[in-house]
Amino acid sequence: MNELIPLMVIVPLMAALLISAFSKFNRSTKIFAFVVALCLPLIPILSNYGLHYFGGYEPMLDNVTGVMFHPAITYSFTFLQQVFIGAVGLLTFLVIFIYLTKYKEVSGPYLFLLFLGTAAVTAMILTDDIFHMFVFFEILALAQVGIVAASSIDYSYEMALKYMILGSIGSPMMLLGIGFLLALTGSVNITDIATAVHMGLIDATSPVFLLSLALIFFGWLYASGLPPFHTIKSGIYSKAEPHGAALLQSFTVMAMISIVLVMFRIYSTLPIFEVLIVFFSILAMILGVSLALTQTDFRRMIGFLAVGELGFIGLGIGLGTNFSLTAGLFQALNEILITALLFIGFGAIVNATNEVDTRKLGGLLAYHPKVSIMLLIGGLAMAGVPPLNGFQSKLMLVQASLSCGYPELSILAIMVSIATFVVFVKTYYTIFLKPKPNDLELENRDVPRSMVLVMGILLIIIVILGIFPDMVTNGISSFIGGIL
Amino acid sequence: MAHTQLAILLTSAALVIIGLYAAIFIDNIIKKIIGISFIEEGVNLFIVAIGYKAGGIVPILMPGMDTSWFASNAAYPLPFGLVLTSIVIGASTLAVMLALVMVLYKRYGTLSTKVMLADTSKQEEYDE
Repeated sequence: MNELIPLMVIVPLMAALLISAFSKFNRSTKIFAFVVALCLPLIPILSNYGLHYFGGYEPMLDNVTGVMFHPAITYSFTFLQQVFIGAVGLLTFLVIFIYLTKYKEVSGPYLFLLFLGTAAVTAMILTDDIFHMFVFFEILALAQVGIVAASSIDYSYEMALKYMILGSIGSPMMLLGIGFLLALTGSVNITDIATAVHMGLIDATSPVFLLSLALIFFGWLYASGLPPFHTIKSGIYSKAEPHGAALLQSFTVMAMISIVLVMFRIYSTLPIFEVLIVFFSILAMILGVSLALTQTDFRRMIGFLAVGELGFIGLGIGLGTNFSLTAGLFQALNEILITALLFIGFGAIVNATNEVDTRKLGGLLAYHPKVSIMLLIGGLAMAGVPPLNGFQSKLMLVQASLSCGYPELSILAIMVSIATFVVFVKTYYTIFLKPKPNDLELENRDVPRSMVLVMGILLIIIVILGIFPDMVTNGISSFIGGIL
Repeated sequence: MAHTQLAILLTSAALVIIGLYAAIFIDNIIKKIIGISFIEEGVNLFIVAIGYKAGGIVPILMPGMDTSWFASNAAYPLPFGLVLTSIVIGASTLAVMLALVMVLYKRYGTLSTKVMLADTSKQEEYDE
C-alpha cells in the first residue's frame, strides 16, 4: 500500500500537533501518545516499497533534454528506508514508553518535540527533494534544541542556544549550496539533479558546482556532529534527559545518512568528495575516542564515543564501494541501537544515584546487576566484540578498507575500536566494579522497570543483528546497487 | 547577466559576509542574532535572484494568455516558492533563539556571550 508512505510523516506530525493542543487532558494524552508511538514502527513494516508523488504529479518527459523530470515532491520507500524508519520508530516508541511510565504528569510540548523530531528524520530519509529535506532538517534542529532545553539538567538552555547559533550558520550555508544547485540545474529534485550531473548536462568541474558541494558538506558536518561540531553535539547529548539523548543520537545518525546519501548521488563523480568524507570521518574517530577518554561525566563520555562511531559510518560511505556503503549503513543502524542502550542504561544510573561524575561513583554492580550486565554487553557491542552487531559492521568496514587498498584505514579502525573498548572498560570499572565511595548516597536505589525493559528489548535486537547480520545487509546491499 | 540580477547577487553576498562577521566576532548576543538574520536574508535574496528574468513577467498564467509566450517570458517561480518557506523557517528559528536569550538574560543579567555561553563544563567546575 503506497498510501502508507506519506503517513509515516503525517502520523507523527499530526500527533505532535494534537498532543500539544490537548495536553491538559493528561490521561487521554498519555493513551493517545502511546497508541501513536506504537504505530510508528508498524507503518513501515506494513507499507509496500515504492514511490509516492505528492499531488499525484508523476514524472514527465522534458522535450528539450529528452530526460524525465519530477514536477512534484516524491517520497521513495525502499528496504533501506524501511529499516531505518522502523528502527527510529521503535526507538521513539520505547523512549515515549519510558517517559509515560516515569512521570505521572506528562508534558504535551515535550511529547510534541519527540514526535516532531521523528517526523522530521522520517521525511528526510524518504524525500527525493533536496529543499524538502532542508526544511525538515531545520525542523529537526528546532526539535533537537527543544528537547535539550526541556530537560531539567543545569546549563541546558546555554547548550541549546549554542547549538542553535551554530545551526543558524550551518543551515543557511546548506541552503546556499542548494541555491547553487538550483541555479545550475533549475531543479531541487535529487534524481533530476543527479541525472543532469551524470549525463553531463552541467559541468561537474565548474567552481559553482564545487562551491555547492562545500556548502552542503558544511551543513552536513553540522547535522552529523562531525568535527568541528563534535563538541557541541556531545554537549547536547549530555544536557538532554537520558531517554531524550537516546532519541537525539538516533536523529543525528538519520540526518547524517540522509544527507550523505543525497550528496553521494549528486557528487560521487568528484574524487574530492570521497576524500573529504574519509578525512572528516577519521578526524571524528580519533577526536571522539580521545576526548571520551578524558571525560569524567559519563554522559559526555558516551556523547564523544557516539561521535567517534559516526566516523565509522562516514568511513564506509567515503570508501564508495557497494560493500563499504553497506558496511557504513549497517554501522549506522547498529549505532542507533547501541548508543540508545548506553544512554538509557547510564540514565538509569543517574536516576539511581543522582550523580554523573565517574570519580564519585563505584560499587554499583551489587545494587544494579541487571543494568550493569546489559550496559556491559552494550559497551562491548560498541567496541566491536563478537558476536554482537557492532563487531559485524566493524569487521565489514575493515574488510572494505582492505579491499579498497587502504590497509592503513583498517589499522586505524581497529585501533579506534580498541581505544573505545579501553574507554568503556575504564568507565565501567569506575562505576560498577570499584569499591563504593563512603560519601555516595543511593537516595533512590530503584531503577525504573520501564528502563530495564527497554534496555532488554534493545539488547535482544543487538544480539539478533550480531548473529544474523544478513537480515539487514543483503537488503541494504541491493539498495546501494540501485544508487551506484 | 542583467545589471539588476548582478546587483541583487552582490547585495546578497554583502549581507552574508556582514552577517558572518557579526555572528562570529561580535560579543553581544542580540547583535549576533541580527547577524544570523543577515545571513538568512542574504541567502533568501540569492535564491530570489536565481528566479529573476530581465524584462520577465510575474509567473501567473492569466486567462487568454498564450502558454508558449508565457513560458518564454515569465520569471522562474520555483525559487520564489522556496524562499517563502525559507522565510517562515527563519522566523521560527529566530523566535526560538530570542526566547532562549530572554531566559538567559534573566539568569545572567547580561547579553555578553562570553559570560552567557562560556564553556559549560568550566561553569560547572566553578559552581562546585
